[in-house]
Amino acid sequence: MRTALTIASRELGSYFRTPAGWVIVALYLFLAGVVFTLSVFMPGRPASLRDFFAVSGWLLLPVAPAISMRLIAEELRSGTIEPLMTSPVGSASLVLGKFAGACVFMLAMLAPTAAYVVVLYRTAEPAPDPGPIAAGYLCLALVGSLSLSIGTLASALTSNATLAFMMTLFGLLGLLFVPSAAPFAPAAIRPALMALAVTPRIGDFAKGVVDTAHVAFFLGASAWFLLLAVAAVEIRRWR
Amino acid sequence: MVLVDQVHKSFGPVHAVRGVSFELKPGQVAGLLGPNGAGKTTTIRMIAGFLLPDSGRVSIAGADTVSQPHAARVRLGYLPESTPLYEEMKVREYLGYRARLFGIPGLARPRAIAHALERCWLKDVASRRIGALSKGYKQRVGLAAALLHNPAVLVLDEPTNGLDPTQIRETRQLVRELATDRTMLICSHILPEVERLCDRVIIIAAGKVRADGNPAQLARDGVDGAVYQLQVRGMRPGDDERLGHMWRSIPYVVGALRTDKDRPGDLAEWTSWSVSGKHGAPDLREAIATAAVQNGVLIRELRSETNTLERVFLRLIDEIDDDADEGRDAA
Repeated sequence: MRTALTIASRELGSYFRTPAGWVIVALYLFLAGVVFTLSVFMPGRPASLRDFFAVSGWLLLPVAPAISMRLIAEELRSGTIEPLMTSPVGSASLVLGKFAGACVFMLAMLAPTAAYVVVLYRTAEPAPDPGPIAAGYLCLALVGSLSLSIGTLASALTSNATLAFMMTLFGLLGLLFVPSAAPFAPAAIRPALMALAVTPRIGDFAKGVVDTAHVAFFLGASAWFLLLAVAAVEIRRWR
Repeated sequence: MVLVDQVHKSFGPVHAVRGVSFELKPGQVAGLLGPNGAGKTTTIRMIAGFLLPDSGRVSIAGADTVSQPHAARVRLGYLPESTPLYEEMKVREYLGYRARLFGIPGLARPRAIAHALERCWLKDVASRRIGALSKGYKQRVGLAAALLHNPAVLVLDEPTNGLDPTQIRETRQLVRELATDRTMLICSHILPEVERLCDRVIIIAAGKVRADGNPAQLARDGVDGAVYQLQVRGMRPGDDERLGHMWRSIPYVVGALRTDKDRPGDLAEWTSWSVSGKHGAPDLREAIATAAVQNGVLIRELRSETNTLERVFLRLIDEIDDDADEGRDAA
C-alpha cells in the first residue's frame, strides 16, 4: 500500500512535469468553459449544470484514454518497468499506484470546474438544486474511474501508447453501444448485456438520482479491469 | 549469497537458458560472459526477479525469488542494461522515489541519498534533470539507485555499454570501488572488462555454463595448453623432420609445426616453429631450450603464448558453433 502511494505520487508528478499533462488539462477546461458560457450561463436558463455534465461525460471519451495511455505502456517502452518490477513492489501495488495517480490527476483536472458551481450560486435566482450537481460530479468521477481502469489495462497490454489509447477508446465506445447492440444479441445473453449498459446509469445520475447499485457497478467494473491489469503485469514475469 | 540452481527459461520455441547453475560466495565479484544472445541477460533478469524461471530456482541471500520475492528484491541492487530512467525527473527526486519504493524510512532517506550521490560522484548534478545528463552520468544515476538501500548483492548488466572511453574508465573505477564490500555479478560481452573487474568468470553460451573459474586460471588451463613460439637454426639443411621429432620427444609436448613452411629451411636460415604443450602442463620453456642446446640447435627466440581469456572464450564459442553445425548437418 505504501509503495502504491509512492508510485501514485510519482505518476501524478510526472503529469505535471511534462507538457502533456498541462495540455490535457488546458484543452478540457477550455471546452468545459465554452460549454458553460454558451449553454449554461445564459439569462433565462434554469440554474442547472446538466449540459455541462453531459458534455464533460462525452469529453472523457478522448480525455481518459489520453490520461491513461502512458501509465504502464511508457514504462514498457522505455524499459523503466525493469527497475520498477525488480524493486520490492507487488504487481497489485504497481497497478493500483498507477491507477490512483491517474485518478487524482483527473480529479485535479475537474476541480477548477467547481468555479462554475460558485458562479451559478452567486448569480442564479432561484439558487440551483445541489442534488443533481453532487450527483453529476459523482457520476463524472465514477465514469472517469471506469474509463481509467480500462485504460490501465490497455496500457499494461502494450508498450505502444497510441495503441493503448485506441484500445481504451474503442473499449469505451463498445461499452456505450452495448444497449444498442443488445436487441440483436441472442435472447439468452440479452439481460446480461443490458446489465452492462452504462448509458442508462449515467442518465439516472443526470436526473440527480444516486442509486447505490450504479455506484457499485462502476466501482466493481473498475476493480475488475484493474484485476485484469494486475494479471497482465504479473504474466510478464512468467513468459 | 546468490544461488542459481538448474535454471531453465524458454520464450516460446526458444530455449534461452538451459540448466544454468552457479553459486556466488559473499564478497565475490563474478563476471558473466558470453556472446550476444547467449542467455546472459535472461539469466540476470531471473536473478533480479524480473523474470521467473520455468524450472529450477534462484535465491538471493537465502530468499527465493519465487516464494519470497520481496525479501529477495530488497537484498539485491540491479542495474538493467541501458539504464532505463525517468528522464523528466531530477536526480535527487528520482533517488528519493527509489528510496521510498525500497522502504527506506523517512529519517534515513536523506542520508542514504546523500551517500549514494557521493559514492557515485553525482553531487554536482543532483538537481539536474536526468534527461539532460550525459550517458555516463545516467549510468551513475542508475548505479546510485541500485545502491541506495545498501544491498548485499549488486547485479550489473553491461555497465559500460555505449559509454565513451573516459566514461568507461570512470564507471570501471566506480564498480571496482563498489566491489570492495559486496557480492557482485557483472554481465558483459567485453572480455578485458571482466578480466579487470572480476575474480571469477562464468562463461555462458547457447544457454549453458561453458566455463567457470578464476580468469587467470581459466586462461592458463584453458581448453588447450600453452603454445610456444620459437625461432631456431638447425645444423643441416632440411633438418625439419629431425627438429619436429626432437620437439615432440619433449615430455608434455603434443605438437610441433613449422610456421614458415613456404621458405626452404637450410643451414643459414632461421626457421619459425610453434610447439604446443599438453593441457595442464607446466611451463615448457626450459625443457625446450635444454632439448635445443643438447641437439646443437641455436635459438634466438622462445616465447610462451599463454592462453588469454579471449582465446579460451573464442575457442568455446567456436566449439558450440561447430556442435550446432553438426546438429544441423545431422538433421
